[in-house]
Amino acid sequence: MSETKVPPAPRSTDAESVGGAERTQLQMILSRFVRHRAAMVSLVVLVLIVLGAFLGPFLWRWDHLVHLEIPASVPPGPEHPLGTTTAGHDVLGQLMRGAQQTLKVAFTVSIMGTVVGSLWGAASGYYGGRVDALMMRVVDVFMIVPLLVMVAAIAGNVRGGTTWYAVALIIGFFAWAQIARVVRGVVLSLREQEFVEAAKAAGASPSWIIVRHLLPNAAGPIIVAATLLIAVAILLEAGMSFLQFGIQPPDISLGQMIGDARTAASTRPWLFYPPGVLLLVVCLTINFIGDGLRDALDPRQTMVRR
Amino acid sequence: MLVYTVRRVLGAIPILLLASVLTFVLIDVSGDPLADLRMQQPPPDPSVIQLQEERLYLDRSMPERYWLWITGIGGNGDIGLLQGKFGPSTQSATYDIGENLFLRLGTTLRLVGAAMVFALGLAVLAGVVSAMRQYSKLDYTLTFIGFLALAMPVFWFAGIMQQAGVGFNELVGSQVFATIGDGTYQAQGQDLWGRITNAFAYMTLPTIVLMLTSFASWSRYQRTSMLEVLNSDYVRLARAKGLPNRVVIRRHALRTALIPLTTVAAVGIAGIIDGAILTERVFQWRGLGEFFIAAVEKNDSYALMAWLLLSGVLVILANLIADLLYGVLDPRIRYE
Amino acid sequence: MHKRRKTLALAAAGTSALMALTACSGGGGGDGEGEKVVTWVINSLPAAWGSISAAGGSVYTVQMLSGVLPYTGQWQPDATYEYDLNVLAEEPTLINEDPEAGPFEFSFTLHEDAVWSDGTPMTGEDLRVTMMMSASPTEGYCTTCDSRGTTGPDMVEEVEVDGKTATFRLKEGLANPEWMAMFDAHSAGGGFYPAHLAEENGWDVDDPDQLGEYYTWLHETRPEWSGGPYQIVDGDLENQVVKEPNPEWWGETPKLDRVIMSYNTDEGTFVNAFQNGEIDGANPAQYSEDVITQIEGIGATLTVGEGNIWEHIDINTKNEFLSDVELRRAIFTAIDRDQIASRNFGAGYPDYELKNNHIFSSDSEYYEDHITDSGQGSGDIEAATEILEEAGYELDGDTLTLDGEQVGPFRLRSTDTVVRSNSLQLIQAQLAEIGIETTIEMTDDLGGMLGGTEYDIVQFGWSGTPYFTSSPQQFWHSESESNFGGLENDEVDEHAIAAGTAPSLDEAAEHANAAVAAVVPEAYSLPIMAEPNYFFVSDRLANVEDNLQSSYRATYNIGEWDIAE
Repeated sequence: MSETKVPPAPRSTDAESVGGAERTQLQMILSRFVRHRAAMVSLVVLVLIVLGAFLGPFLWRWDHLVHLEIPASVPPGPEHPLGTTTAGHDVLGQLMRGAQQTLKVAFTVSIMGTVVGSLWGAASGYYGGRVDALMMRVVDVFMIVPLLVMVAAIAGNVRGGTTWYAVALIIGFFAWAQIARVVRGVVLSLREQEFVEAAKAAGASPSWIIVRHLLPNAAGPIIVAATLLIAVAILLEAGMSFLQFGIQPPDISLGQMIGDARTAASTRPWLFYPPGVLLLVVCLTINFIGDGLRDALDPRQTMVRR
Repeated sequence: MLVYTVRRVLGAIPILLLASVLTFVLIDVSGDPLADLRMQQPPPDPSVIQLQEERLYLDRSMPERYWLWITGIGGNGDIGLLQGKFGPSTQSATYDIGENLFLRLGTTLRLVGAAMVFALGLAVLAGVVSAMRQYSKLDYTLTFIGFLALAMPVFWFAGIMQQAGVGFNELVGSQVFATIGDGTYQAQGQDLWGRITNAFAYMTLPTIVLMLTSFASWSRYQRTSMLEVLNSDYVRLARAKGLPNRVVIRRHALRTALIPLTTVAAVGIAGIIDGAILTERVFQWRGLGEFFIAAVEKNDSYALMAWLLLSGVLVILANLIADLLYGVLDPRIRYE
Repeated sequence: MHKRRKTLALAAAGTSALMALTACSGGGGGDGEGEKVVTWVINSLPAAWGSISAAGGSVYTVQMLSGVLPYTGQWQPDATYEYDLNVLAEEPTLINEDPEAGPFEFSFTLHEDAVWSDGTPMTGEDLRVTMMMSASPTEGYCTTCDSRGTTGPDMVEEVEVDGKTATFRLKEGLANPEWMAMFDAHSAGGGFYPAHLAEENGWDVDDPDQLGEYYTWLHETRPEWSGGPYQIVDGDLENQVVKEPNPEWWGETPKLDRVIMSYNTDEGTFVNAFQNGEIDGANPAQYSEDVITQIEGIGATLTVGEGNIWEHIDINTKNEFLSDVELRRAIFTAIDRDQIASRNFGAGYPDYELKNNHIFSSDSEYYEDHITDSGQGSGDIEAATEILEEAGYELDGDTLTLDGEQVGPFRLRSTDTVVRSNSLQLIQAQLAEIGIETTIEMTDDLGGMLGGTEYDIVQFGWSGTPYFTSSPQQFWHSESESNFGGLENDEVDEHAIAAGTAPSLDEAAEHANAAVAAVVPEAYSLPIMAEPNYFFVSDRLANVEDNLQSSYRATYNIGEWDIAE
């Protein structure tokens, strides 16, 4: 694996992205992103969903738990806009909680994966040589293990109720390798640049150089990768739930709702479609946002595209 | 090339070793292979538990056990990778992990292989077409399908495909698609044509399900790299030289644009194996996925190790093939 | 979606003849014209080829061996017992039923024509060897056997084999009112195994080590032998087994040319596969409201009835609060069984019936309702509150307290199935009404959770058969390993023991009912209902019905299955 070619990660190698031009560059990125219509629409939709998931439960009268007053298996109506389940859950209440837990898992994974992956990749690229070789071997190790498999193996072994943070930690532990690769690739090309040489000459410590100089310049690819990792984590959590290694009831996630309602497509569509469609929309918007960010943050590629 | 291959294979060994240490430790600390037995009702005799501990080598320390797992020195002859033994199973004293693993490998490889081939083929096609007709309706449609596919849970899509298959069968009044099983039994004693229709019936739906995600992400990649190449100087030069467009695309542009895809696809095989576990479950194939799920449910550490090792080898092999292909595809080597 | 599918079905009706044909050929390789082939679903993978072992035997193994393994009798769908007079020459005889007068003794005589598929006659030796393999290793017959039902075989003192007849004498003072179950469809093995194959393979059945080897061989080798209407001709433990008629079968000739039993672990696939003609029917292990509704819409025979797993709620009496019987009574009174049952099963099985006796179902002649009058399981919040107030508990806002201290929160646990998950969430809401807080914790390790008493309130299932004599002792005797919540009651102990050793079923039933009557006031175990099981079969088939009394389920009469004219 040692010589596996890194896929041509979108990278901003331009030295112009350093230093005083920051403000105008940010404006440029913003204006480029705003021009990406699909990404803008997606961003609005995603923000609405996030708000609904986190604020909705305070506004809606039913939570995700069973209530004796809720009748069983009622189709959507004025009392329960998305109907109810066999046991007596309000599906809208469940949906908001499910989306919330799923998003919490996904964001946690993304943050974990990005922090660990960026630092690891940057250190590896910065030091180079043997350190690089060794650190990248570790990345390879994480890359050759199928993610869902490893995650399910660990989660399946952990007995008792699995909570959202347990699921997030387990996924996060295995999901940073891709980002490490991308960041290393960028840093490799950055570290020979004058501003890094200058910082070294000025006596800056390696950690200072990595955090202050290298990572900000790799911000573009990192943000894109972090965004896409959110979608990956959502789908992983859904897969785990389907195999029954995910979040345990009475708590709920979108993946679990989809898995539970798998047979209900034609009999009780109000159980089948809302969680599936919501998950689809969340992942879709995240992917579009990632696409928009890529265009906005990577002028070279944008040049190609326009 | 042979030297290169040998060097690569040797280079892969330390990675596999490192991976095996990591997974061995993780699996070891995360569960107790005898949990079910210890809690059985009525409680088994301590001697029974002790017997099982000895059989599964749980009476030894973790590093000792790892050493044993690799070398088999000091074991009962049922363990030691170097001797071709994968270790005892919790599922039963006579359950041969290696035999079961390789028995199921064929089933899974059939599915994964078909999905790989079709995903790659269609991704290249879609990527190239998208890139050449950039910003056309076709480009937008393909892009949207790609994004949709990337956002869909595999098992959800699988259920929808099964239903669609049944709907199609009813429409044409014949059982064109099958929804469960791998069709091996049904192919027995059939002539060649029968085998082909049988394979089509049983493999079409799961292959579509499994290839979808990979197709989506690979076609995006192909589109991007194709665009880059189309806008590069040497393609412009080739065009300027007056070469026909078709020649430029096929000889120069496509070949170069395939290089990144080979690498992405090689890394992506891990993702396909993930998807295969879910796909096999929904379509009731008894492949590596079912082996894996059973191993997790029964806390079968050595079976899990064997599984992970095998998938590691598969991924490394795929990377090796990608690297060799890379040499074949690189125009700087083959440019005429 | 549903509607559209129906119109499609209409459109396809004209070609239904063609479809039936292709459905047939979809069933197997190398079919001849007009062969009668049926594909049946077994709901999980059998873990072994033999059904005696605790590790390998399960209802799935037994169903896989249907039509292959001979047995002496079984309970019919209408809960009457029938001896299998294909296998037996006559009804078995009880020679002595009074342990006071001498050893309890009974004998089985096999049918004169009964042969194994290799032509070897079935003899009493087959029964003797099966009994030896089903007993505990401590009995000394077999060193490595791990039978899943040792109670009956362990009582045997000696066996006498005389040609087709085997006579069993029990150990001194022991009686077994269910002696006829030793080799019937509900025994450990679900029938009896051949003995002559041991010798053929070079093992001596009277050597404990060698019998162990034979036992292992039986569990690991695909049976080429058969003692029933069908024999296994192909298959594995992963995908399917294929059965064809056993030419040596001496009874009525089976009607089908081939039965394919395919293993399917995912209920989610049933509807599509059934609609597609890939499977002809199934007797799934778990209830699924949506599958039932969908199959009903397709037009097939579908029945739902009470299965043999009955759900109940148990309380851990060792918990510091729950050791108070008044609190336990209040909890059981606040739990609304009808709500649990109707929400879970009402849609697919509106005729559900609550279980009011732990031991006997309502169609048993010994049935007595012990629960209704106790008020337990009624969901009567007022009555529950009254019990609590009288016992000195107080409500502090929404929280129940005792001497100013919060009562609970209690761990409410079960395994993660849809039905149990629904049930726990309902119980949680119901107990909240009387101020008791519970936390739901699912487990995938039921045995561990019960054995370690890692629960305060738990829902789980006991598997019941029409046999009952040993149940009270197993459930509630203070020294029973399965008395998980630690009930200690002398009266219960007394009746439980008496039920297990009574010489007659009537007497045993009397003690069993007395034990139930003593358990109910303890508010220790509250039965809810037997989980309904469903069964569906294509109208293409005839003579197929579910037998909820038997582990064989619908395959219990596989020899009579036929294609409808």
